[in-house]
Amino acid sequence: MNTPDNRYRRSQEMFARAAQVIPGGIYGHAGPAVSLPGAFPYYAVRAQGCRYWDVDDNEYIDYLCGYGPMILGHQHPQVEEAAAKQQREALCLNHPGPIMVDLAEHLVSLIDFSAWAVFGKNGSDMTSWALQVAREHTKRRKILKVSGAYHGIGAWCTPGHGGLVAEDRMHIHDFNWNDLESFESLLKQHRGDIAGVIMTPYHHPAFKASQMPAPGFWPHIEAACSKQGIVLILDDIRAGFRLNLRGSHKFFGFEPDIICFCKAIANGHALSATLGRKELRVAASKVFLTGSYWNSPPAMAAAMTCLDVMQREDTVATLKSLGETFMSGLVEAGKKYGYAMIASGPPAVPFLSFAEDPDLRRQQRFCGEVTRRGAIFHPHHNWFLSSAHTPQDITATLQMADEAFAVMKSEGL
Amino acid sequence: MRAETRSSAVLSRLYLNAVLPCLTDLADQDPAARDLIGQLNARIALRILGGPAATLSLRRGHIDWQSGAPGWPSVLLLFFGERHLNAFFAGKKWAVPLPIWGGWRIGLLKRFSQLAAKLEAILNGHASVLASAGGRRLHARLSLIAAGLGLKALAQGDAIAMSTLRSLPPGLASFSIEAEPHATVWFDHGSKNSAAGWSDPPRRADVRIVFGNLKVAYAALRDEIDTMAAVGTGEIRIDGLIPLADGLNFVMERLRVYLQP
Repeated sequence: MNTPDNRYRRSQEMFARAAQVIPGGIYGHAGPAVSLPGAFPYYAVRAQGCRYWDVDDNEYIDYLCGYGPMILGHQHPQVEEAAAKQQREALCLNHPGPIMVDLAEHLVSLIDFSAWAVFGKNGSDMTSWALQVAREHTKRRKILKVSGAYHGIGAWCTPGHGGLVAEDRMHIHDFNWNDLESFESLLKQHRGDIAGVIMTPYHHPAFKASQMPAPGFWPHIEAACSKQGIVLILDDIRAGFRLNLRGSHKFFGFEPDIICFCKAIANGHALSATLGRKELRVAASKVFLTGSYWNSPPAMAAAMTCLDVMQREDTVATLKSLGETFMSGLVEAGKKYGYAMIASGPPAVPFLSFAEDPDLRRQQRFCGEVTRRGAIFHPHHNWFLSSAHTPQDITATLQMADEAFAVMKSEGL
Repeated sequence: MRAETRSSAVLSRLYLNAVLPCLTDLADQDPAARDLIGQLNARIALRILGGPAATLSLRRGHIDWQSGAPGWPSVLLLFFGERHLNAFFAGKKWAVPLPIWGGWRIGLLKRFSQLAAKLEAILNGHASVLASAGGRRLHARLSLIAAGLGLKALAQGDAIAMSTLRSLPPGLASFSIEAEPHATVWFDHGSKNSAAGWSDPPRRADVRIVFGNLKVAYAALRDEIDTMAAVGTGEIRIDGLIPLADGLNFVMERLRVYLQP
């Protein structure tokens, strides 16, 4: 595949090699099939602050932030130094390091309802384990989740189709976001057998605008779970530390029983965490949890520093302010050319889509045009901001968006 | 999600509404098939007692397919149930249909039987068919037709397909092979009903899936290439409502449960 200007020539050459030896070439969420084949870079080589460079040396302002982890920007000096310092001591040991205890204590003090913490490497590690804890605690089978919500790659929740059997989801039941009637219907249908409800703090499905909780939605879910002894699991992997440093439940005003973090916790170092109420502590101790690298200290050291920097610099406020300017600017830019735009999700984790675009082609063209101008806009996945983005970066991006809208308008799209 | 459960009703609809229509393209593309039809001018209807029917009109080397069996055909073949028809298409010798009209037209029935055998060999990918470039081309084209039209039959009765389709956005998907004439099949996934056709779609497709060439289409339809990688290399192009394409691709895989030899 060749773009008219060969902008992604090396990316495509590399992909052709990959396609020979790697299933899918690039698998998962970063695969070309879910972005813009031919109009998106496939491979990147270096990054600094809010910018990164692809293998063709194209420079981008990064609005994906590694799909979330880079909350302080790439190569944050303090975080990197903390990780490097720890790594000089030890990378992978037979035992956990003291840093694991420090980090668990720190997180438990930060997340007010929690009494314990465990660690993994990915979001999926945590959500799948949390389900088991809920089942162990309640001795029940059923798990309720929101239709279209992403919770990882476990067979119980993967958005993929391959390799599944009907039994994988025999006890997983979906209800619709903001639809208490469908939630209540499941509660009634499976009364006494529901172990847990797992939800993201707001709905951020792929290929669609994000949806915030309707007034009364979370209080109802929380009260129903409490009444029936159902473990409420908050999957805060994507939004965690971006809306409120103490967990996104604080932002929306409710309290879960378990919360799962990943992404922003260590500014790009591989770490995930789950925290829970003291009542779940015994169950948590009974559900086996481990992995080859899960005790590795450097990522934990990175997390300690990342959390400290976020607290000190009030990253949450910075992201909110940047995001508001960004999204209002994009909506205005669209309006200038006659496009009604939808800015959805919290400003710190924004997404922009066209109000009238049922086949997504406007969205795909717009994001392709902005991306080729130097700011990575994913057409189908929510975006992320980091505290390394500056008002000047936002202004430059808005200019690119203006040009993209102008091109689309001139072509009658 | 994998499950080997098959519905007899779905399988019979697949035979009537997705496999039989392939005869149209077979006659258009294959001179030998056209020769078999010759100067015939006849209509053959296949009906399940109390159930669906399909009619094939053979005329001057062409075959038209239509749903139902209106009027009086030249030959009317009756099946006593879905299983009877399914067994007939599966080649079971005992599953002869009852020719309630036109049974004396032995020559016509013989040629229809030869066409059906040819179609079966092509769709099943018999070694003799796949040995030649022409055979592979026919196999790719007819497999695409059967897969696209088969979506409707699956949407109407296969539990797994129906469950998947419920989670998909409504829209029209077209599947085509680049540089191949008249090689587009479409499926319109409506919120209540669905429709499918082997022709230019009735409106702009919400998602277009284009196989870059016949070789890619052949391999993709036989599940012999990494289609995700092919999207990245541009050998398969998808634009528009990607979740619909992704879901339909999975639903199409259900066809293997029904039609794989």
